[in-house]
Amino acid sequence: MTDVNLVPLLPATQVLLTALVVLLLDLFYQEGEKGLLAWVSLLGLALCAGETLFLWGSQESAFGDAVMLDNFALFFTQIFLGAAALTILSSVHYIRQAEIHEGEFYALVLFATTGMILMAAAKDLIVFFLALETMSIAVYILTGIWRASGRSSEAAMKYFLMGAFATGFLLYGIALIYGATGSTHLNEISNYLIESPEDWPPYLIGGALLLLVGFAFKVGAVPFHFWVPDVYEGAPTPVTGFMSVAVKAAAFAAWARILMHQLAPLDSDWAFPLWVLAIITMTLGNLLAISQASVKRMLAYSSIAHAGYLLVALVVGEEWGGLPLLFYLLTYAFMAFGAFAVITALAETEQSPEDYRDFSGLGFKHPFLGMAMTLFMLSLAGFPPLAGFAGKFYVFRSAVLSGHLALAIIGVLNSLLSVIYYLRVIVAMYMEEGGAEGKSFRQAPYLYIAIGLAALGTLYLGILPARALEWSRVAFLSLD
Amino acid sequence: MTVSTAVFYLVAAITIGSAMIVAFSRNIIYSAFSLLGTFAGVAGIYIFLGADFVAAVQVLIYVGGILVLVLFAVMLTHRITDVEITNRAAGRIPALIVVGVLVYLLAQTVRETPWAKAKEIVYAATTAKIGDLFLDTYLLPFELASLVLLAALIGAVVISRKEIKE
Amino acid sequence: MDHPYFPLLVLFAIAGVVVVALLTLAQSIGPKSISPVKADPFESGNPPRGDARIRFSVRFYLVAMLFLIFDLEVVFLYPWAILFRRLGWFGVIEMGIFLALLLIGFIYVWKKGALEWD
Repeated sequence: MTDVNLVPLLPATQVLLTALVVLLLDLFYQEGEKGLLAWVSLLGLALCAGETLFLWGSQESAFGDAVMLDNFALFFTQIFLGAAALTILSSVHYIRQAEIHEGEFYALVLFATTGMILMAAAKDLIVFFLALETMSIAVYILTGIWRASGRSSEAAMKYFLMGAFATGFLLYGIALIYGATGSTHLNEISNYLIESPEDWPPYLIGGALLLLVGFAFKVGAVPFHFWVPDVYEGAPTPVTGFMSVAVKAAAFAAWARILMHQLAPLDSDWAFPLWVLAIITMTLGNLLAISQASVKRMLAYSSIAHAGYLLVALVVGEEWGGLPLLFYLLTYAFMAFGAFAVITALAETEQSPEDYRDFSGLGFKHPFLGMAMTLFMLSLAGFPPLAGFAGKFYVFRSAVLSGHLALAIIGVLNSLLSVIYYLRVIVAMYMEEGGAEGKSFRQAPYLYIAIGLAALGTLYLGILPARALEWSRVAFLSLD
Repeated sequence: MTVSTAVFYLVAAITIGSAMIVAFSRNIIYSAFSLLGTFAGVAGIYIFLGADFVAAVQVLIYVGGILVLVLFAVMLTHRITDVEITNRAAGRIPALIVVGVLVYLLAQTVRETPWAKAKEIVYAATTAKIGDLFLDTYLLPFELASLVLLAALIGAVVISRKEIKE
Repeated sequence: MDHPYFPLLVLFAIAGVVVVALLTLAQSIGPKSISPVKADPFESGNPPRGDARIRFSVRFYLVAMLFLIFDLEVVFLYPWAILFRRLGWFGVIEMGIFLALLLIGFIYVWKKGALEWD
């Protein structure tokens, strides 16, 4: 009989139950009374956050070790909860304006969060796959949920097709690995890898590489990035923020646990492909971001570039790269989400203003938005003393310490390159005139709160990173 | 050659033949219908492998469900009446490389796997064993499957709901 | 001949033979007088209208999709039903959770009016 222990599933179950409650409440409330749904969702997320604090430090597994609740899973659960909460706060006004169905929107955000939490905790490739699918399906729908917008539907279609393609790679990879090792369980697979390093069949390597391709698709690494700009641009802006922060973090969480930690014996086989992937992802992401006219598209390419920096941490490997990877994801969550939230504040109609010229004069019209956007842009570019600087500093330091000097140099050069396009936004906001109106605090108070929280996080992690670093270190060390 | 071997090759030929029509037919409707042969053929192969439950599921889900879904999707296509809607062959050279690598991998797999040949082929009902795995060893994936189905259900309703007034 | 699936082969063989036999019989002994009306596609006696390839409504797709999801659910029920006695209450709870999630989906679909045609 399998060991049924529900404690490791507590956070995921909490979020899932909230999603179901929201889904059902939505059915029995009339239009106009649905403001409550956002609060129910936030309450559920807050309860779950409380649980993660309470459970911090536990090391429990269940269902034949198929899920593992360790600090690593809890760390990522907290990132997902934060991202989901900020997404809901920032979209309260937006979805009403765009006439998106509220109940389904919140329920799908919560479903996606459930999937992410399980992805970070999965110790079995089948559990991982199902969690990934739960997340992916929910996010595909969120991308296309703005039915009145043609761009949104098109983005959903592209995302779905590309996502299904990536899923195919992952599943084939899992099948080949299962064929070679006789198990989908990560502990057993790594035991096999350690015990019989001599006779790995070629299709085991093939399976591992397919897994790598699947992950590269999901995080949007070059050359599997071509869907990112279109999807990020077409999706409703709060969803784009959610994707760039939470979906990316979930994919990297699974990548860290599965490829980096459990399948570490295969390191030598994918070290070189990963090295190439990191370099071209950083470089191409930054180069293409420069030539964009739309800020939303620019941020999409910038998100590709940041995936490249994160890949550096993966190339560096478990010993040095674990802490920087986790810390970077935490810092990136605040600054990237904040940047997309400011775009949300500019959104007015379907043809949302999101070009550089729409930002013109924003710094004077809405000083708070201007200040916050400046903060996020400087942080994304990596200026001290902001979160982005701290994140990059630890990633590149780990690359130097582990002897990947070339990677570190290319990374720093890329960071310098990225200053060009991030500063363009600031220049537009403070040195030009005209542009979009943007929403005032009175029009969308929750959005302002979300932006404020993201800005606080960006400042805090940049100025006082010590606690978060310790937190990341403990989380990564809890992987067994 | 025994009867069962002959039938196996027949089933395999139907499967691959239909799959080739799916891939090579210029008309998307022919492609969609040819999937029937592929799905049914795969069900036959499952039977040869002694996987009776999987074979039944293959017929129930793929032949009875997914094929119908594919046909509906084809018939939903805008301007389906135009015969020009065809399958184009694009990117032949990259495809050849991918297929080459795949064939190599599969061939290596076939060659290197120590195939344990059973002395006596036992065809026993597998449903109970699968149930044991579902409800015991793989209990969590089993419950998660319902979550994935629920997400898909909501997605189907949200995406196909009539919202844009035509 | 003692293959456990031999009856299945016999079934398919008989089905094939019957189909081919009926078609050839109709071809050979049926009278042939082709008129334009007879050459028309058969639409239950009504004069045929339009093309066979019409664009279907998206509602067909939704119904097919919902069918497929609940079809899959039923597939999961089979192995459980076989083990029902042995699993006892544990099995009921396991399947209860599985079905509860889909039941919520069903309520959702129902209340949203996705099962209604108009």
